[in-house]
Amino acid sequence: MNTPVAIDFGQRLERWRNVAFVVGALGLAASGYAWFSDRTEFTRMWLIAFLYWLAIPLGSLALSMLHYLTGGGWGLAIQRWMQAAMRTLPLLALFFVPIALGMHELYEWTHADVVAKDELLQFKAPYLNSTGFLVRAGVFFAVWIGLAALLGAGAKRFDAGGGEGALVRLRTISGPGLVLYFLAMTFAAIDWAMSIEPHWFSTIYGVVFIIGQGLATLAFTILLSSQAADSAPLKGRLLPVHVHDLGKLMFAFVLLWAYVNYSQFVIIWSANLAEETPWYLKRMHGAWGAVAITLIALHFALPFLVLLSKTVKRNTKLLGGIAAFMLLMRLVDLVWYIGPAFGHGTHAPMHVHWSLATSFVGIGGIWFGVFATQLKNRPLTSLPEPDPHAMAAAHH
Amino acid sequence: MSSAKPTGAASGAPVIGPGHSLASVTDQISKIVLSRQTPTGWFIGLGVAMLGVGVLITAIGWLLWWGLGVWGINQPVGWGFAIINFVWWIGIGHAGTLISAILLLLKQEWRTSINRFAEAMTLFAVMCAGVFPLLHVGRPWLAYWLLPYPNTMGMWPQFRSPLLWDVFAVSTYATVSALFWYVGLIPDLATLRDRAKSLVWKRIYGALALGWRGAARHWERYETAYGLLAGLATPLVVSVHTVVSFDFAVSVIPGWHATIMPPYFVAGAIFSGFAMVLTLAIPIRRIFGLEDFITMKHLDNMAKVILATGMIVCYGYAMEAFFAWYSGSPYERYMIVNRMLGPYGWSYWALITCNLLVPQLLWSSAVRRNIAALFAIAIVVNVGMWLERFVIVVTSLHRDYLPSSWGMYYPTVWDWALYIGTIGLFFFLLFLFIRFLPMISIFEMRTLVPATGEEPPKKGLHIAASAGPSGEARRP
Repeated sequence: MNTPVAIDFGQRLERWRNVAFVVGALGLAASGYAWFSDRTEFTRMWLIAFLYWLAIPLGSLALSMLHYLTGGGWGLAIQRWMQAAMRTLPLLALFFVPIALGMHELYEWTHADVVAKDELLQFKAPYLNSTGFLVRAGVFFAVWIGLAALLGAGAKRFDAGGGEGALVRLRTISGPGLVLYFLAMTFAAIDWAMSIEPHWFSTIYGVVFIIGQGLATLAFTILLSSQAADSAPLKGRLLPVHVHDLGKLMFAFVLLWAYVNYSQFVIIWSANLAEETPWYLKRMHGAWGAVAITLIALHFALPFLVLLSKTVKRNTKLLGGIAAFMLLMRLVDLVWYIGPAFGHGTHAPMHVHWSLATSFVGIGGIWFGVFATQLKNRPLTSLPEPDPHAMAAAHH
Repeated sequence: MSSAKPTGAASGAPVIGPGHSLASVTDQISKIVLSRQTPTGWFIGLGVAMLGVGVLITAIGWLLWWGLGVWGINQPVGWGFAIINFVWWIGIGHAGTLISAILLLLKQEWRTSINRFAEAMTLFAVMCAGVFPLLHVGRPWLAYWLLPYPNTMGMWPQFRSPLLWDVFAVSTYATVSALFWYVGLIPDLATLRDRAKSLVWKRIYGALALGWRGAARHWERYETAYGLLAGLATPLVVSVHTVVSFDFAVSVIPGWHATIMPPYFVAGAIFSGFAMVLTLAIPIRRIFGLEDFITMKHLDNMAKVILATGMIVCYGYAMEAFFAWYSGSPYERYMIVNRMLGPYGWSYWALITCNLLVPQLLWSSAVRRNIAALFAIAIVVNVGMWLERFVIVVTSLHRDYLPSSWGMYYPTVWDWALYIGTIGLFFFLLFLFIRFLPMISIFEMRTLVPATGEEPPKKGLHIAASAGPSGEARRP
């Protein structure tokens, strides 16, 4: 690595993009086979993969707005990654189409015969109905894509030398934008995931998804930063202080994830109401129970203990490794949240269809390809040129 | 984004007024404490607060003589003012820790001038909060039964009850808050020791300063200790109010049992706490001429935090209302209808006005720059957060599952007396604090002096300032 000629991250990105498109296309082709062979299983697995990859563009939208409002060097370090991710939201809207088409496979409240026998579902029908579901999905995507477009335009103006005025505008969008994102994501979580078990409800559910999106975004951007750190243009600009701050943020989100999940669990466990406990009973028995323990150990305890160390948080490569691990854990968490919902009764055996893997790789590959294309369209970093004094200060 | 302004989105206004040097900062803050001339306003304020303490002592005396029957609590509303006021005070206290610890960890330099008295506010608020559960146990002299210790009665507290978790959470929080506050005071106590004229005060401040000489090793240990305490205090803020929310949420009472309660209670605590900091800071900066240290930027930032946390609280209200319907449970639905249209409906709409509608004014930067408006909004939020606890406690309890056991709750004069008495105690302690201890951290303010551009850091003189907290070195 001591070559005087700096490796350009853009070239590496191009290579990754090509691989991603090929892998993604293969994954989608395999999932296409599943669509024809087992529509129900395909749609269920697609939903999980879709929600997984949706987390990064949406988390980027939210964290960007948070950064415009609060400032901080951490935001500059990952700003370009987040901006590119935000611009992929229309692609996610496209990936939503199989869910809209497969509603009948996912949600029992779309079955007229089930609703006819279920008083509670009749009561909820003004909200849980196919038209409302589609209209709301349209509104959610309109809000997100609209916000991403506004922020993108604002950022472009700033890049073109818009100065303080452009910043003020970005902040003006971000305040109400965060409110809109919160509301849209909350109801999206209710519609797309919670309503799979239409009798069950939990008021913190939307927040759980929002925290998950923040964590996924931080993990993804940290991983990318760690890969780009030793090549141009990040080399010398991404300082240990930035990495440290990102590490602290990821640590905070790991804690928040544990906090909201523990709160939800202890409140439902303690009250022990028949309307609420089945959700956990399904997820605490048999193999799903083992997954639950795994999540406590590996989604919380392990990263918590490791990230306590300042040395770890300042080590770019190591933090990148932990971030990659957290991205894997995000998938396990989503599978645990949504997978058991499709089982019947509280002791249904664990069941995950093979097309989860192909849909995950398929959506992910295409998404990463588009993301990389977007990333290359603009400068790769917002971090300032390395300043020898600042470097000395940061290393002290 | 801007590379020129990597920290602090709220640019423009400075965090310290122009024209200050290291000496002028020390002079201006320490003279409030060391001056022999106490402002008349201070005596008036202390006098009024002492009246409140008198009311408190009377209310406690009356309660101990007659028992809990003097309060308005009964079946079905067994938790009245005591728990409302407990939660209200604890919530107010949280802003102090948030400003001191969390903003420190987030490297928000603007916290520097408000952290000291916000921490003092935390301590006093926790004391006021502690009064209520202690008295509510009925026999406060047996309150030690709350602690798990081997005893001849063979009795143990109920470990599954969040009320017991409260005992641990609040006592830990009070301990760490006191330590954090005191450790942060030590360098300033040494300054006061060195500047005090009378021997008695020299001795008193000297003893409290624990032999601080400002040596490099002292600063190093100080930084470590302060950073560790900040790290400890941060999870405590969250845990205390989470446990407080569990007091309600783990039950099966409609209106209490909601999974959103923990984060929404924590946000509400910060919301009310910042409102209280504004309520105190606005008159104090005026009375003691501290406009250069508690600048418009501080007020502006605090207003923004109030707006943000207020929106989270309102998210909680929205979720409660939506899920009351979505759950399909007739009890949940009745709870929200009763809250809005029942006999206590006025309190719900007053709460919505105070916590949802009025704070929306803070979107406007013109309002955030208007001190009178800020003060008024802060008072409104204080009232709103008290109403929130009133709504949660009273409207949920007074009509639950069995209509035959419905009832109304009316606080008595002794409920009010105890509440007003704790407000008196709070201000009494606060007035003593601002007279006898530096209410703004002198040495931390000195680290901001280079920002004024008046005094270039000199060798030697700079040591005290630069060895002090300067962001990077202080993070754990």
